[in-house]
This record gives sequence, C-alpha cells and structure tokens, in this order.
Amino acid sequence: MSDDLQEDGQTEPRRNKTMSKPEKQKFRDPLMNTTADDSDEAELESLDLDASGKSEVSVSRSSSLIANLSGYEDDEGEPHDMTIIVDDPEKHSGTMDSYVTFRVTLKTTRVEFENNEYEVRRRYNDFLWLRQKLEETYPTHLVPPMPEKHSLRRLERFSPEFLRMRSLALQKFLNRVADHPVQSFDKNFHVFLTAKAWEFQAHKKQSTGLLSRVGESIHNMSTSYMLKYRKPEFAAMQDYMLAFAEKLGSVERITQRIVKEQTEFHVDLQEWGPIYTLWANSEDQLVSPLHSMAKAVEVSANSLKELIDGTYDNFSQPLREYILYAESIKTVLRRRDAIQSEYEQTLDELNKRKEEKEQVVNLKISDQTYSLGAFLGKDPDEVKQNKQDKLEQMVKDLTLQMETQNDRTAVADSDLRADMERWHKNKHRDLRELFVEWADRNIHRYEKCLKSWEETIKLIQGKDVVLPTCDKVKDSDKEVSLEKAESTETDRTESDLS
Amino acid sequence: MADESSPTYSPDHFPSSPTENPVEIAKKLGKTNMLQWMEIRVCEPEKRTSTSMKMQDTYMVYLIETRITDNSVKCKGDGTTSLWRRYSEFELLRNYLDITYPALVIPPLPEKKATYTWQNMATDKFDVEFIERRRAALEIFLLRCAAHPIVCCDTIFIGFLQKNEGWKDSVYATDFQNKADSKLKSLNASFRLKKPDQQFEEVKNYSNEIESNIGNLLKVRARMADHQFGIHKLHGNYQRVFNEWSTIEKDMTDPLQSAAHYMNVYAQAIDAILEEEEQYADQLKEYLAFGDSLRSACRKYECLQYDLERADESLSSKTAQKQMLSQGKAPTGFSLGSLKKAVFGNDTPEQRELKIKHLDEQIKLTEVELKQINEETQQFVEAALRDIDRFKRQKTKDLKEIFTNYAIMQIKQCKKGIAIWTSAKDCFTKM
Repeated sequence: MSDDLQEDGQTEPRRNKTMSKPEKQKFRDPLMNTTADDSDEAELESLDLDASGKSEVSVSRSSSLIANLSGYEDDEGEPHDMTIIVDDPEKHSGTMDSYVTFRVTLKTTRVEFENNEYEVRRRYNDFLWLRQKLEETYPTHLVPPMPEKHSLRRLERFSPEFLRMRSLALQKFLNRVADHPVQSFDKNFHVFLTAKAWEFQAHKKQSTGLLSRVGESIHNMSTSYMLKYRKPEFAAMQDYMLAFAEKLGSVERITQRIVKEQTEFHVDLQEWGPIYTLWANSEDQLVSPLHSMAKAVEVSANSLKELIDGTYDNFSQPLREYILYAESIKTVLRRRDAIQSEYEQTLDELNKRKEEKEQVVNLKISDQTYSLGAFLGKDPDEVKQNKQDKLEQMVKDLTLQMETQNDRTAVADSDLRADMERWHKNKHRDLRELFVEWADRNIHRYEKCLKSWEETIKLIQGKDVVLPTCDKVKDSDKEVSLEKAESTETDRTESDLS
Repeated sequence: MADESSPTYSPDHFPSSPTENPVEIAKKLGKTNMLQWMEIRVCEPEKRTSTSMKMQDTYMVYLIETRITDNSVKCKGDGTTSLWRRYSEFELLRNYLDITYPALVIPPLPEKKATYTWQNMATDKFDVEFIERRRAALEIFLLRCAAHPIVCCDTIFIGFLQKNEGWKDSVYATDFQNKADSKLKSLNASFRLKKPDQQFEEVKNYSNEIESNIGNLLKVRARMADHQFGIHKLHGNYQRVFNEWSTIEKDMTDPLQSAAHYMNVYAQAIDAILEEEEQYADQLKEYLAFGDSLRSACRKYECLQYDLERADESLSSKTAQKQMLSQGKAPTGFSLGSLKKAVFGNDTPEQRELKIKHLDEQIKLTEVELKQINEETQQFVEAALRDIDRFKRQKTKDLKEIFTNYAIMQIKQCKKGIAIWTSAKDCFTKM
C-alpha cells in the first residue's frame, strides 16, 4: 500500500530506477548528470502535465531582476563553473521591424563544452524561447524570471538606459539558469549559449514539435486539488505566494499613486520657476536673487523628475514582475499538486482493484456473476479464473504506475523544495536591493535640492552666510531688518500733507 | 492730522506733561523712528463675545504691548503699556493713515479672509493657525508703522498703541472721513492726464506687475501644497502594508517594521513643512498688498495732477477771455456769434468794464489757487517719490531676506528628508 507516504508528506525519493534524478543539492557530477539529463527528458516527455500553452503568455510576465546589479551575485561565495555576460546592445533593422541584439559571452570550465569561451548574439525573443523551453522541460522547477517584453514606457524601447537595464536583467537570468543544478545542463540552454546564428535558428525550428503538447492535464489547472494526504509544507508555500503577491501588489499600487502625485507636483514646479524669472523683468535690484530662485526651483523640478523616472523603471517595474513571478510559482505548485493527485488516484484505483481481486479469489461458485457467465455458456471456473487473471494484471500494471508516480511526486517535491529555498534566498536579496536603491534614490533627490538651495542663499546674499539655527522664521528676523533699514534712514522730514 | 508742536499724547498711566513725553524726548535725542527706542509686540489672541442688538458678536482681540527700550527716553513708570485691539480697529487705523498721509506708502494689513488656500489648509476665522499667522502679520504692520519716521509720530497711531480708552472717538474727531469721501470720489473717476509724471506711470506699471507676479506665485504655490500633502500622506500607506507584509516573512520582519515606522514619519512631516511654507506665502501676500498701496499713492498723485491741470486750464481760459474782452477781438475757437453778442451785442462799455474787472478778480483767485495746487502737488510728488524710494529700498532688503528664509526652509526640509530616507535605507539593508 502506500507505505512510503507518511502523513506529513515526506517522501523518500526512490533511487533504484534508471529514471531517477540525481541529488539536487550541491554536488553535480557532470558525466553522470549528462546521461541522467537525457533520460530525464525522455521521461518527462511522457508527462501530460507540462507547461501548457499558458506558458507562452506567462513567460514574458515572469519575475524580473534588479537591473542595476551585476549577474554574478546569485550564490554568494559559491564557485561558478559557468559565467555569462550580456552586453553591447545593437540595433538592427529587419525587413518588418527593428530589433536589438545583445552579445552573450560564456566562460566555462565544464567539460561538456568544447571550448572555454563562447560568444554569440541573441535577441529578446531568443531569450523568451529559451525560458519557454526550460519551463516545458522542468515543470516542477522554478525557472528564473525574465524582464517583461515591453517596459511600462514603450517609447523608450531603444534608449541607452533602457537597453542597459535590459542587458543586466537578461544577464541575471542566464546566470541564474547557469547556477541551477539541473537547468544548467539543459541542452537548449547549451545551444542558446554556443550555437551560431543559423545553427540556432535550425535548432529552434526543430524543437517546435515539443511545443505542440498544449493539452492540459486531465485535471483543470486552475482549481485547487483535493489531496488526500495534504502536505502542509506545500500548502504553506501556496499561502505564502498568495499573501506575498498581494502585499507586493499593494506596494506597487501605492507607488503608482505617489508617482502620479509627484508628476503633478513636477508640473507645478515647472510652472513656478519661470514666474520668478518674469518677476525679475520688473526689478532692477532683485534680478540676481530672483534668477537664483528660478534656478533652484528648476533643479527641484529636474531632480524630482529623475526620482519619478527612476521609481517607475527600477522600483515599480521590478515589483510588477516579481508579482507575476509569484503567480507563475503558484502554477508550478499546482502542477506539483496535480502530480500528487494523479499518484493518489492511481493508488486509490490500485487498492480498489486489489480488493476486487481478493473478492474474486474468495468467490464461491454460487455467486451471481458466475451464474451470469454460466448462463452465457461459459465454464464458471474459467470465468472466475479469467476475471482473476484480468484483475491480477491490472494490479500489476497499477502497481507499476503507482510506483512511477510516487517517484515522480517525490522528485517533484524535492525539486520544488530546493528551488523554493533558492527562490526565497534570491527574493530576499533582490527585494533588499530593490528597496535600498529606492531609498537611495530619494536621498539623492534631496541631496541635489539641498545643494541647489545652499547655492541660492550664497547668490542672494552675495557671500557665504552662516545659517541661523532657529527653527522658525520668526518675526524677529523682520524686526531686525526693519531696524537696520531705518537706522540708515537720513530722512528727517516730518511734513505731512493733509 | 498730526500735530507735532503740542502733542496731546497722554496714555493712561503717564502724567500729561509735555516735558515728560517719551515722543518728545526721543525727538530731542534725535531718534528718527519709534523702533529705535521702543519695542512693540502683538501677542496673546483671545476670543471675546459681545452682545449688541440681540446679536452675538464673537471676535478675536490681540494684546498689544509696548516697552521703552532706551533708558534715556524713559520717563516715569516702567515704560510699558498694554491694551487689547481687534482687527476692525486695525482697519480703522489704517484707513486713517491712508487718508491722512496720501503721499506715503502705508503698510498693508493681513488679509481679512484666507486667500490662495489649498485643500487641507485652515481657513476658518477662528482656526488656531490662521489666528497665529494673523497675529504675526499684525505685529509686522505695527512695526513697519513705527519704523516710518512720519507715521510713528502721528498722535492717532501712538494712541492706538497706548490709549486704552476713547481711541476710536479720537480718530473720528479728526474728521478724516470727510477727506476720505472727497478723495474717494476722485479716485473712482477715470481721467486722462495731459502731462503725467513719468515716474508715477512707472510706479503704477510696477505695482500692476508685482501684483500679477506674486499673485501667480501664490496661486501655483497653493497647488504645490496640495500635491506635496498628497505625496507625503500616501507614503503613510506604506506603513500599513510593510507591517502586514512583515507578518508573512521570516527573515524580514524587524527591518520591515522599522521601515514602516519611517514611512509614517515621512507622512507626518508634511504638516510642519506646510505650516512653515505658509509663512513664506504670508510674506509674499504682504508685498502683494503693498502693490496696492503703491498704486493708491499713484492715483492720489493723479488726482492732484488732474486738479492742477484743471486749474491751469481754467486760468488760461479766463485769461484769454479777459484779453478778448479788453481787445474786443474774438479769439479763435470761440463761436463768433455768441461772443459778439456777449462782447459787443448787448453790452455797454460800462458793462464790459464790469465784466473785465470780474474776470480779473477771478483770474487772481485762480492764480492763487493754481499756485497753491502747484505747491501742494510739488510737495506731494517730492514726499511720495521719497517714500516710494524708501519703500523700494526696504523691499529689496525684505525680499532678499524672504527668499533666503525660503531657501533655508527648503534646506531644512531636504535635510529632514535625507534623514528619514537614510534611516529607512538602514532598515532595508538589514532586511
């Protein structure tokens, strides 16, 4: 029976079959993994539960990366035997459209590569294709996220800043795949990194056959599975993903509203500054102070714009993409649930058949079914034996199926567990950097304004001024100036006109 | 009318003796304005309710305190006074000064109602912030008056500061309102001048421009205040979300909660910021109102000039008439028929002689009048231009300081922003 399935859902992965996967943790034996990889693929091809047509859509909406970081920081302190650099964006004008290609440079010490270094050019859609293949191939693994296809501001498609950020994001993606103990050995991944242009195109065409596995599993993916043996570990993951996506969503929404308000404030500032300049036209003594006021307001406006753009690109955008990544993880979790559910169903059926077999074995000749067979002119013993044999075969088949699926469940569980742990670590770091940068951007904006206003005081006063320490601008300041003004008054006329 | 020769200055607890009058003493000592020897403060607003004609009237009163700071000016007593005044009394004082000293740029009062307001700003007459800002502005008004060499010697002004009982009566006793009426009539009339002084034209244009510019600054600033308020308060929402988020995370709990706190600090900071910035707005508003004072002085000049030109015209025409009568010719421009009738028609030589004598008298009167107006106008122009010049110098000084203070405000805000976000960044790095 289900003796290897404990109540708390901990399953020992079975290692006595050829299709078992190697340990997912730190150690990777390249030679062993290569063969295992192939068989894995063969094995997985028979799965129904693979990335459906949905992945086509979801792939471009998966998590994003903090663009300003280098791609090397994934596993702190771990040795990398594959490092990838994405840079040098170049614009090309094709027949129908124009697009950008990036230079992808691979440096590796792995033996399955002929050379130590490769350099190819790829465009965004190529990355998309790769990610799609990875999702199809490893449905129970978390595939690293890609930046969204279009930024929130579509007009900036070819701006240097946008392309720089995109390069970094793509670089991070590739390095994360390279650091994954399983995905880094993926054939498509290797082709992506090494094949020349025409080779690559050919490979892509060839592998489209696999895409036709669009069919969903027997169970509807969007419903949650009623699992007999609930695994709280994975239920907790689902709950967390839900809550996490919700919280990030709130943060993103608040940010959007703030950006909107800041934009309107920016418009105000742009209107305000020139009024000072206009005023300067009426004055002769105050021209310089008024101009410096206008200048300072302009700096405030510009630094605010920088903050707005930076927030939009480097805070809101990554947040959105992380939310979408959380969505795709939920999908993977559901897939795992589906695998477990399949196993449980097989298990149920197996038990049912076993019971049936028992019943037949213990059957007396006087049973109804037997008599029905006898009515049809068959030998009662033969009928019974046939039935028994049939059931025997079914049990055998089901047992085999059950064991296969049990293994698959176990494998999916441990895949997911390992990947989730890695995801949490990465998420932790990503979000920390995201928020730190966000705070930094705000600090920089204020620093710029601060400098500008200090300059303004110097210009107005015409010299270095010691700033008063009093908090409020008191009337005493006015008093002082009035007294000063009057003490230089030489007018002594006291005539009044009435 | 101010009367320097024999001051009727007699505050309640000073003996009414000319030799012991601080104002006199100050003058003897060569002080040019009151602020050199006296300190004036407007403080402690209080609510008062009075019932008159079955209607309840609630209003604020302000405590006005003076203190003689120069010992050489001090007489008997401790040299301090204090009394209560309400806004309407300030208005009365200013009206009086405006009418009485038409050549001077009289300082403006703070606005009666809140203008250029933004959404969450206090606009209620009895709101604490509004009252406080008004109090500060009233004090500035009095200080400016006291700083003016002419205004500070005015009896009514001094009485405002120190005459507890019967001040209002003393104002009405000056009968300034009569002058007000006649001046108002001429102020409202629109007229064309033949030879306006270019300087006043320039001042008038300037006052229009400054009103327009400052008005626009205030208008946009109100919008800015609205948006700044929104931005900060929205950051407060982060606090809630960060706190909620911290409950589902294992490793990020404390940093998120600390960061949440700082988001709240940022949200709360806006109240103090906008309160400070309101001071800037008030300072600009004062100069906006000054623009009006300037324009008023120009218009008074125009009235005088108009009178002058009219008198001049009258004289010319009368002189021409006389000439015509004596020479028996018809000057150009006159209707021949009627003139002939008047001159030659029915008149006997005796009658003509009479008319000429009559005209002569009129001419003499007009000449005197013209001379008077001329003198008046010249004096006015001199005094007005001088005071306008004084105003300009004061304005330059003031505005430099106003802008500097605004810059200081901004620097403070930036420093605060940097502090808050640095603390938040600190929290985030510990995530």
